[in-house]
Amino acid sequence: MAKVKVISAWLDACAGCHMSFLDIDEAIIGLADKIELLPTPITDFKEFTPADVGIIEGAISNEHDEEVAKQIRANCKILMVWGDCAVFGGIVSMRNLFSNEEVLDRYYSTESTTSNSKVPCSEELPPLVKVKPINQVVKVDCYVPGCPPSAKAILYALSELLEGRIPVLPSETMRYD
Amino acid sequence: MNEITITVNGKQVKGKAGSTVLEVCQANGIDIPTLCHLDGLSDVGACRMCVVEIAKERRPVPSCTYPARDGLVVQTHTEKLEKYRRQILELIFTEHNHFCMFCEKSGDCELQKLGYQYQMDNVRYSYALPSLSVDSLNEYFTIDHNRCILCGRCIRACREIAAVNTLDFGQRGWKTTVVADLNQPLGESSCLNCGPCVQACPTGAIFNKINLYKGVTEDCEQIATVCPDCGVGCELNVLVRDNNLIRIDAPDLTSTRGALCRMGRFELLEQTQSRVTSPLVRIKDCDFEECSLDSAAQRISAGLKETKDSFAGMVSTKLPSETLSMFHKFISDVIGSDSIDTPDGASYRIISEGIAKFAGKGKGLDIECSIEEIPGADCILVIGSDPETTNPVVGTLIRRAAGQGKAKLVTVHPSRDAFPLWTDLWLKPKAGSETALLNGLTKIILDKGLAKSGKADALKTSLNQCEISEVARTAGIDKETLEEAAEIYAQAERGIIIYGENLIANGGADAVAAILNLASITANQVGNSLRVVSLKSGANSRGAWELGLAKGIKQDKPKGLYLLLSDDTVDEKLLNRLKEIDFLVVQASYHSPVTAIADVVLPSPIWAEREGKYVDMSGRALEVKQVLEPGEGVLQDKEILMAVSQQMGKELVLR
Repeated sequence: MAKVKVISAWLDACAGCHMSFLDIDEAIIGLADKIELLPTPITDFKEFTPADVGIIEGAISNEHDEEVAKQIRANCKILMVWGDCAVFGGIVSMRNLFSNEEVLDRYYSTESTTSNSKVPCSEELPPLVKVKPINQVVKVDCYVPGCPPSAKAILYALSELLEGRIPVLPSETMRYD
Repeated sequence: MNEITITVNGKQVKGKAGSTVLEVCQANGIDIPTLCHLDGLSDVGACRMCVVEIAKERRPVPSCTYPARDGLVVQTHTEKLEKYRRQILELIFTEHNHFCMFCEKSGDCELQKLGYQYQMDNVRYSYALPSLSVDSLNEYFTIDHNRCILCGRCIRACREIAAVNTLDFGQRGWKTTVVADLNQPLGESSCLNCGPCVQACPTGAIFNKINLYKGVTEDCEQIATVCPDCGVGCELNVLVRDNNLIRIDAPDLTSTRGALCRMGRFELLEQTQSRVTSPLVRIKDCDFEECSLDSAAQRISAGLKETKDSFAGMVSTKLPSETLSMFHKFISDVIGSDSIDTPDGASYRIISEGIAKFAGKGKGLDIECSIEEIPGADCILVIGSDPETTNPVVGTLIRRAAGQGKAKLVTVHPSRDAFPLWTDLWLKPKAGSETALLNGLTKIILDKGLAKSGKADALKTSLNQCEISEVARTAGIDKETLEEAAEIYAQAERGIIIYGENLIANGGADAVAAILNLASITANQVGNSLRVVSLKSGANSRGAWELGLAKGIKQDKPKGLYLLLSDDTVDEKLLNRLKEIDFLVVQASYHSPVTAIADVVLPSPIWAEREGKYVDMSGRALEVKQVLEPGEGVLQDKEILMAVSQQMGKELVLR
């Protein structure tokens, strides 16, 4: 049987969900026989290629994030999102309580540890948008909440997908913290 | 009680008439999810999680407010209802900030649990996420309005359990929040810091400031014990993790004592004072040296020889009866003295004398009724006492009765009305005129023929000399007001009189007897007891008094004194008396001005580290459980007393 092709990305997040994926320990050996990791933060290829499963960690925080989410969606058959940021908006969406100017000012002036730091200004930098969970930008097929989701939850979700089912976490595995 | 039968999910179940559909279902083990419902509070149908389908109702109805009646046909878990419930959860989650990862209540949150139960792995709505305030000005707890689901449980707890009415909803629609008074910060509001709102909050909107993030319920051992801070005897559910206090809850919000107060719920958790962890002996004027228990005992033995003919014992009424009995024996058998007292012993002797004046010898504190009678009273006369300070839960019970309009509240205090929002009549007698005032009220009742009991005739004779106009002058209250007060009290069926320290100190035994006289001719008795309550400050005051520990110190100025203080405190008056004692032994949990003037200091456990029995002010025997292992260097009081006895060549045995 052909391996299931997986692409993934982390958007506005802490990488904890991908770390939690690596925490599945020896189960990763069994998975390696069944899935093939194409562009992911772990493999570090930059261009997405068509895949069976797309995975997103993190919320939509700027125009670049929106673009990446759309690219993944366009390249995969099933889109799964990991973690509270991607599922609900999570901790990063608390930025929505403030204006972009306030956020940047706080980051680059008030809290900055380097002197004379300025808000960077370049056409290459994507403008900030209101923080949103992924399902407000593209269609999402399955969700794995948690901050981060436990290795058990991630393994459960992947295993269900490999069995051909859309995973819904059982109550006892589901966490929002 | 009428029994009714309703059909739930195709099965016939029985319930009591007057119950709600939710109550009938819960009593029959049918689990309906709830958020705004809490046992002990009234139901309002705010959250709509408990919606059910009822035959002939056009739409789902909240089961918590729907009265059950015979023949109802109810469906509780149809696909449609479960869909609605999940939808309600999503709407609640998107309304405010309900991200769990940094919330104090995560793991203890009812909203979170329901999210898991309904496998809510995403939300379909966009977030409102308004920027709301966080009020952290209260000393013991914080309100984070961003976490609030507007279920109103805190508001109902404030109204129905605490009977304070500080909290309510403010604003309208999207802007609705819970507010204190007229939108004051909690710390500047009428809040009494009693905290049932904290216990009632289903989310992280109201949470304890003390021991924040130190553990959720699941991590903790829960131990039932009794509050050591006053004579009311509130039961506590203490949550402990790794020998640390985490939280204190009322075990049953529905019980009379289910309220708790700031002392029982919060102050007991604060352990900031420095502990006595080793025996100490004074070496110079203000220097102490740590020593072994044996050498401390030797020092006590030597000190005792110098002061033997004039040695007394004093013991805190916070201690359980077992320790009190042992201390009693220690003073009588080992020290050989019959001079023993408690810090509140003088009050007891005055109360006893008052009871003797009223009823002759042989009648004890049983002449008083239980505080359980307060909520059912139809008139409450509060005199010479400040329940809000000394016994706050009594204050709660008074407000509950007065706030629901069941009871008329008459307060008597020269300068301060303890219940300004609840009082119907406030009498302001001149200081020291309380006895005259009480006798005056009795006289008015007798003269107006409002007395109900046969004892009235004897009283009539003894109060023959009492002139109301004279009383009015002495007390500085006009005659009409006195008559109004007398009438309010005399016309009640279950009028209750509550008195305390101030009356005892100012009016003495005569005032106590005057209260008993007044109660005896008017209100109906409770069994053999009069509707009178004297407030007692020690958790085991009544136990100590009935064990004979409040005999009193015989000498004006004893030369030596053994004070078993434990984690209690002494007032300035007693401290000044103790300063005049040549040889002072203090067994205490904390360093304090008292240990600073002692010659020998011995360690003692705090409330959470001891066990035994209390007799609360209503005469109930209560079991005190040990909650924590004693800290390093701390021995149980009885072990110390035994070691000291042994050093003095005497064995301390309890029969």
